[in-house]
Amino acid sequence: MAEFDCEETKSLVHEYLHNELGLEHQEGITTHLALCDSCEEEYDLEVNLNKAITRSCDEDPPQQLAERVLDFIRKSESN
Amino acid sequence: MSVVLEQGLAGRLLDSEPMTIQPNKASEDKIRDFEQQAIPLMPQLYGAALRWTRNPSDAEDLVQEAMAKAFVAWSQYQQGTNLKAWLYRIMTNTHINSYNKKAKDPSKGGLDDLEDWQLGDAKSLTATTSRSAELEALDNLPSEVIRKSLLEIPEEFRMVVYYAVVDGLPYAEIAEIMGTPVGTVMSRLHRGKKLLRVLLAEYAREQGYLSSETKTEKS
Repeated sequence: MAEFDCEETKSLVHEYLHNELGLEHQEGITTHLALCDSCEEEYDLEVNLNKAITRSCDEDPPQQLAERVLDFIRKSESN
Repeated sequence: MSVVLEQGLAGRLLDSEPMTIQPNKASEDKIRDFEQQAIPLMPQLYGAALRWTRNPSDAEDLVQEAMAKAFVAWSQYQQGTNLKAWLYRIMTNTHINSYNKKAKDPSKGGLDDLEDWQLGDAKSLTATTSRSAELEALDNLPSEVIRKSLLEIPEEFRMVVYYAVVDGLPYAEIAEIMGTPVGTVMSRLHRGKKLLRVLLAEYAREQGYLSSETKTEKS
């Protein structure tokens, strides 16, 4: 298993949260987080920020948009 | 549909088997396939379009234009491959092309080459706030504030943050959609999130979600 210090751990926060690390790195970071409150807090913050971003971006398209797009392509097909 | 019948006649006589009298069958199949496969992905396209254009009416226009282009290019889409990524890519190109036709923003371009200090250093700005206070403030911030702050960070960063966080797309897919190397995706995500944190911490401090005298913590 790979070992990581605080600086490395903090620099890999997004890759860890988005599952972009190999298994070995992922496990190494998980171990570091279990032992390090400072890094864990940093990770919690990014997780919360991700949740906040996700909840803020939940707009639905106007209902008539799909119909409008389909009308548009039907018309373009008939030309 | 009557127009379809009249105009399709010449084409049918030229290129299809003369015995089958199925008016515009190919065209109807194409529309049906597109409707079944691409249209259900429209809410996701609209979500991304809002982040590109920053307002609902332009977002609708962008989605409509991108979908029209996707329909024209539909025969080039390889069934079984990632349709959402394919549509996103078309929408990215559509947006960039229409943007380039409009006035060019001189402040844009070369963002990836900027050093961190030129973008504002998140560490120094948020260092006066403890992370636990920042965490708590985040939970209390209205969605509207977060949405607006996201719109304030540079477009390239904003889109990568959106694709990675809201859409949960892998880096490789984002790289394909944005037409950049994976390393660029990574650095844009890091910088975008950092900028967002600075903006939100500033807002939280101004609005009293965060006290500016909370204990200092080294990061």
